[in-house]
Amino acid sequence: MARYLLRRLLAMPLLLLGVATAAFLLGNVVKGDPLASILNERQMNNPEVVAAAKARWGLDRSMPERYAIYLGNLAQGDFGTSFRTKRPVMRDLLDRLPATLELVFSAMLFGSVTGIALGVAAAHWQNGPADHGARLLALIGSSVPVFWSSLIALYVFSVQLGWLPGAGRLDAAIRPPESVTGFLTVDAALAGDWHAFGNALGHLVLPSVMLGWAVLGIISRMIRASMLDVMQQDYIMTARAKGAGTLRVLLRHALRNALVPALTIIGFTFAYLITGAILTETVFSWPGIGSYAVDAARALDHPAIIGVTVLGALAFLTANLLTDIAYVFANPRIRLG
Amino acid sequence: MQPGLRFSPAAGPALAALALLGLGAGLPGPAAAQDDTIVIARDNDFNTLDPSRSWCDSCQIYLTAVYDQLVRVGADNETLEPRIASGWTISEDGTRYTFTLDPDAVFSDGSPVEAKDVAFSLLRLKNLKAGASFLADGIAAIDAVDARTVAVTLTAPDPEFLGKVSSPYGAIINADLAAEHGATAGADAAETDRGEEWLLENSAGSGAYVLESYRPDDELRLAANPNYWRAAPDASAIVIREVEDAVSQMQALQSGAVDIAMQVDADTAATVSAPDVVTELVPSFNFVYVALSPGAKALEVELTRELREAVALAIDYEGVLEFTTGGAANLIASPIPPGFPGTKGLPMPKQDLARAKALLAEAGQPDGFTLIAAYPEINIYGVDLSIMMQKVQQDLAGIGVEVQLEPVTFPVWRERVGGDHIPLTAVYFAPDYYGSGQYAGYFGMIPGAGWYGRAGGDEVPGLKNAAMMALMEEVRTASPEAAVDLYHRMALEMISDRVIIPLVNPSLVLAYRKGISGMRYAVCCNLPLEELVKE
Repeated sequence: MARYLLRRLLAMPLLLLGVATAAFLLGNVVKGDPLASILNERQMNNPEVVAAAKARWGLDRSMPERYAIYLGNLAQGDFGTSFRTKRPVMRDLLDRLPATLELVFSAMLFGSVTGIALGVAAAHWQNGPADHGARLLALIGSSVPVFWSSLIALYVFSVQLGWLPGAGRLDAAIRPPESVTGFLTVDAALAGDWHAFGNALGHLVLPSVMLGWAVLGIISRMIRASMLDVMQQDYIMTARAKGAGTLRVLLRHALRNALVPALTIIGFTFAYLITGAILTETVFSWPGIGSYAVDAARALDHPAIIGVTVLGALAFLTANLLTDIAYVFANPRIRLG
Repeated sequence: MQPGLRFSPAAGPALAALALLGLGAGLPGPAAAQDDTIVIARDNDFNTLDPSRSWCDSCQIYLTAVYDQLVRVGADNETLEPRIASGWTISEDGTRYTFTLDPDAVFSDGSPVEAKDVAFSLLRLKNLKAGASFLADGIAAIDAVDARTVAVTLTAPDPEFLGKVSSPYGAIINADLAAEHGATAGADAAETDRGEEWLLENSAGSGAYVLESYRPDDELRLAANPNYWRAAPDASAIVIREVEDAVSQMQALQSGAVDIAMQVDADTAATVSAPDVVTELVPSFNFVYVALSPGAKALEVELTRELREAVALAIDYEGVLEFTTGGAANLIASPIPPGFPGTKGLPMPKQDLARAKALLAEAGQPDGFTLIAAYPEINIYGVDLSIMMQKVQQDLAGIGVEVQLEPVTFPVWRERVGGDHIPLTAVYFAPDYYGSGQYAGYFGMIPGAGWYGRAGGDEVPGLKNAAMMALMEEVRTASPEAAVDLYHRMALEMISDRVIIPLVNPSLVLAYRKGISGMRYAVCCNLPLEELVKE
């Protein structure tokens, strides 16, 4: 397994270089003048201002020159400066990544654990009320647009009932804890600021549940199907014949095998959500990577678009690798090589 | 018989996930903003926090809270009042302004505001050739006569110069501090200045607040300036929280998570019945307009003045107001909005289909023609441009003019409107300062004006408006009273050009929680933060 991992890790930089190159080339060949996102409409009419902006942003250089400079900077971890925020793209990404990771971790935790539990219950009580209930939950989670369900949830739980805080990661009147990990809940706990911790956790609940609900639907249906298949296998009968309890048979014998296909979904969904939790981030004013990507695309912010693309590729590669490793733990018969 | 499930430690993760919900439900709900911190929900459009590079609505709010200008428009939205300049004189020929600086004025680090700071700030604005540099284009030289006296020499008389320096972009920066962090102001500043990155993280002003932190697309946090040289602001901190849409802003306001929601539209405000929330409708100087470009390459007919007039007469103006804002807006006669000098008594636009059809026939287009209408797909000041353009499309169909709508992103719109130009488009305007000259200089059909270029002024014979040019020249040396009449005539010329057709002068909704006072719409800066008080 070590050789396999080493091989995969060594291939990563090459794959990322390919992604960065493709993103750079695409950004330069698609229609759209980047100056239009740097300058305002008045400035676009002024040749002096246009010339100054071109020089400042390196847009007066040829594409090969810019590519060479870009690669040189990229090798030093510099994605360039965002046309829109005027800050280094790496800084923007590092600022937003913890917000997204905190949201996605929580959503995946909720979606995966609840989805697996519902899938197991649905398979165990096949065609019973639990199965129908799980199917209904899965159906709603997968089919209701997340922006709509999120707005409704915000209105009900925050505005009407007042049980949970609304948009954002922390009430604005609360001073954010000193950033150590970027996860507000963790940083608040590290700082011993339990008021901020509770508030940050409260802010996390609604977006995590609404985002995790969509994941829950897919996972529960997949686990149910796999469980039903696995439960017909001879070794399950053997385990039962040996007197193993129901819970032990379900969780230890059946679920471990049924989990393998779900791991693939979990891994890819996690990676997808790093850049793809756009609607949830928008509705909950969550300053993460997804909303950054949308704003960058709207503004033709090439450096930011390339930065997000490379980050997304890195997330997929990492998630893929971790999923492969998880297979081994879920099913020891699997060997990586 | 189905065997029952028994509790097992293996079920822990499932319980943990469920606990996430349960734990949240046990937490305190939305906390009202604490202490005297004022929290504002706003869809920010910051392009930077560097005063000399910025140009946006949110920038205006920030720059007037954190920086001071030489002068500032008073609460009546008209009169200029001393700020850093305690007084000023203007030379007889109107080209030299000498400002005396207030001896009490100090920056947030305690250092005095001096003539060199004024010179640095205004020259940097001019020489960076970025943001609102057009406001300083007329500056020829700035002399620091002594530490408390600064003289600005203009290339030509400009009766609106004081208005221009009163704009938020005329912010006076602590020159030594900014220079220490890479800011430059010389003629080569566009190439040599490296101050923006620092100014995105720090402020260097003498305003009521200082920048505490800024996270783009998340929040801007201001703290009261401990060395503020005027009456200290009431709130010790102000947080501008990024909340994108009107519904979310209103939800945050109702729940008590924010104290003020800045971009609530009239429709959304009408749905609110919360006793703790106050909504007021106030007039604004902002407006949304459509524009015709006779120089657009995509035109299938020559867009003569008669045809432009026909298009203007085909629009149901009252209907547009109702359609876009439910009536929470006013008609607007000319590209100079009501309330600015020269706008009294201007004729309001009216639909006249018979006259419009007659004009089409006279111009040899009795069956109408097709116009491509590309516009930025945005909702601005409560007006959804897509909805507005659908109404325009419907109205123009009444005279046989087919409008093909093409909503695009703002950068694409900028590129197209400045490139091949767009036959029919829609966009908005908000003032940079109090003065009608900015409208004449932007919307007039005179060389150098923004819309003269976009309308194809240099390529289309007869588009240049000689009368407008003469009026612009005349106003340079006119008395303030005479200038009002000249601006009135300019407004009539711009109406007559039929290039810019203003449609909606939207009222603004001030939405805030009870206990907040000092809310007002200000021409300088939308919302003057230093005036806000939280009980």
